[in-house]
Amino acid sequence: MHIPDGYLSPETCAVAYAVAVPVLAVAAKKVGASVKTRNLPTLAMLACVSFLIMMFNIPIPGGTSAHAVGAAAIAIIMGPWAAVIAVSVALLFQALVFGDGGVLALGANAVNMAILMPFVSLAVYRLVAAGSALDSRRRLVAAALAGYAGINAAGLATGFELGIQPMLFHTADGTPLYSPYTLAQAIPAMALAHLTLAGFAEAILTVALFAYLAKTDPTLLGSRPTRPARAGLTPARLAWLTVGVLALASPIGLLAPGTAFGEDAPDELDLASLGLQAVPDGLARFFGLWRHALLPDYGLPDGSHAVLAYWLSAAVGIALVGGAVYLLGRLIARLSPAPQATPAA
Amino acid sequence: MSAPTASEIAPPGWLVASASDLAPMIPSGRRRRASFQRRTLGTASDALRFALDADERGERLGIVSLDARAKVVALLAALVGVALVRTPSALLVANAAVLAVAVLARLSLGAFVRRAWLAVPVFTGVLVLPATLSIVTPGRVVVPLWTASGIAHGLTQQGLTSAALIVLRVAASLGLVVLVTSTTPWHRLLAGLRGVGLPVIVVQLIGMTYRYLFLLTGALTDMLVARTARTIGLQHDAQARRFVGASVGTLLTRAHLLADEVNQAMIARGFTGRVRVLEASKPAGRDLITVAVVVAFTAALVVGDRLVN
Repeated sequence: MHIPDGYLSPETCAVAYAVAVPVLAVAAKKVGASVKTRNLPTLAMLACVSFLIMMFNIPIPGGTSAHAVGAAAIAIIMGPWAAVIAVSVALLFQALVFGDGGVLALGANAVNMAILMPFVSLAVYRLVAAGSALDSRRRLVAAALAGYAGINAAGLATGFELGIQPMLFHTADGTPLYSPYTLAQAIPAMALAHLTLAGFAEAILTVALFAYLAKTDPTLLGSRPTRPARAGLTPARLAWLTVGVLALASPIGLLAPGTAFGEDAPDELDLASLGLQAVPDGLARFFGLWRHALLPDYGLPDGSHAVLAYWLSAAVGIALVGGAVYLLGRLIARLSPAPQATPAA
Repeated sequence: MSAPTASEIAPPGWLVASASDLAPMIPSGRRRRASFQRRTLGTASDALRFALDADERGERLGIVSLDARAKVVALLAALVGVALVRTPSALLVANAAVLAVAVLARLSLGAFVRRAWLAVPVFTGVLVLPATLSIVTPGRVVVPLWTASGIAHGLTQQGLTSAALIVLRVAASLGLVVLVTSTTPWHRLLAGLRGVGLPVIVVQLIGMTYRYLFLLTGALTDMLVARTARTIGLQHDAQARRFVGASVGTLLTRAHLLADEVNQAMIARGFTGRVRVLEASKPAGRDLITVAVVVAFTAALVVGDRLVN
């Protein structure tokens, strides 16, 4: 998970720092405002705890053990901004004192483990725990899922950062300059490791820590999670947020080489490998029957402004599908009989 | 009554015996995996010992007298240079230069090679092995291994070059970081970070974290030793997991209380939230020369690499 220097291009590292530094600045301000002069010792202690959590070997069912990051647990107990600072400082220590994770790659590591992970974990935790009692089983399930989802989000981001390297940075003869594995190889590899070992380790740590504090020191947990589900993060808003993020990320599709399985145009077919002499008649006849697409291949007709056209396609698609589903919903609501008021006895 | 002799007031032998002299806690005829507590204990105490060693080593060496800011600037320039070059030969030159400076700095070569070139670069080497095959990195097959559908598969020139690039790049980058961190005591490294523009509050946070890391690591090792001493026979995984939760929870509660106490102590001593630092001295001529030499060497390496490539 800790990316060393040499795996990422300097350009990727610069972008990651550009993302991480402003978030860290906001985090420092937010935490400073909530704990006032206490911020310095509190943050220092949290960073220590975060560092020590990363040293723990967590026993996993099956006889093996793995390390956890602890960002999910700190985010649930101390809030996401405190987790951002604590994990970032712990990562800096690991890079400088122990050579674990790179110095140029520190920005990327911070984005994955200190920024993405606490926020994803907390969102999952709040969504699942919503309004349940502090000592309820649902809280424990929420804590476990938060850890599991958080570390997997971080692993996915790491896989993405590594996977775009060979596509973007290679020599003229195709030699990858940095991490050599493509998205199709890096993401499944990271997913496999995180859906199994690392995911369980993080879930176990988060739930064990939560269960212990709920029993022994509920005041430490009490300031945050006892309040009911936050109005800010309802399932509907989360759905909209997800749609927004997916729409923004849609131009990533431009990076992918080749075409999707079963979607080749007749001239893209590798006829020899299919044992064919020519494009089948039916395919040739019906291909291109509809020639009036507004945004052919999710782009403008002249092929310019590919990224903008992808976003435009996403917006149009969301509006059309959303509108159709909304109208269908209205129609069903109108056709179904209104519930009868039960007569008073 | 006569005065106690030295042998009477000396602590008993079992108390001062080192841990390795004690009988193993878990009697067993065959070798078995160390318990998760012992492994965690090992990691924690190794980390502490290593950090302290670095501080002592840094103080002993001549290279330490260089200004820390100069070292940080030179490190960053060299790291960017190593990230920019595109041929294995340029990276070999970079690694040779790092080794030469390590020799000049009179670092223990065995320890340096172990830290910089053994762990992470070897791991990277194993990790990129599949990427040398034509099924991962397509290109000119130089070592054919098998044939599928009439096409030869094996190690490709592109794959081998790529593997060499990443391993050498990782080795050179880590070598540079180890070179600087093992010749610079921590407090000077912090001063160096402040000198290159890191906000004072962040530097102080890092400094305080470093200080309390030792205290809390001590607390953690105490907990683990106490637990190990009370564990007889095998421990169930479920118990072990509860113990991890309890130890981290205790650590967190303790850290919370400690933060309050430290805060009160700081306020009692006049801390208002504003951090004042003594102005660092100006960098001397030889610091500037060091930076200039490193930057010029790095620039020459990058430009030469581009011209050859």
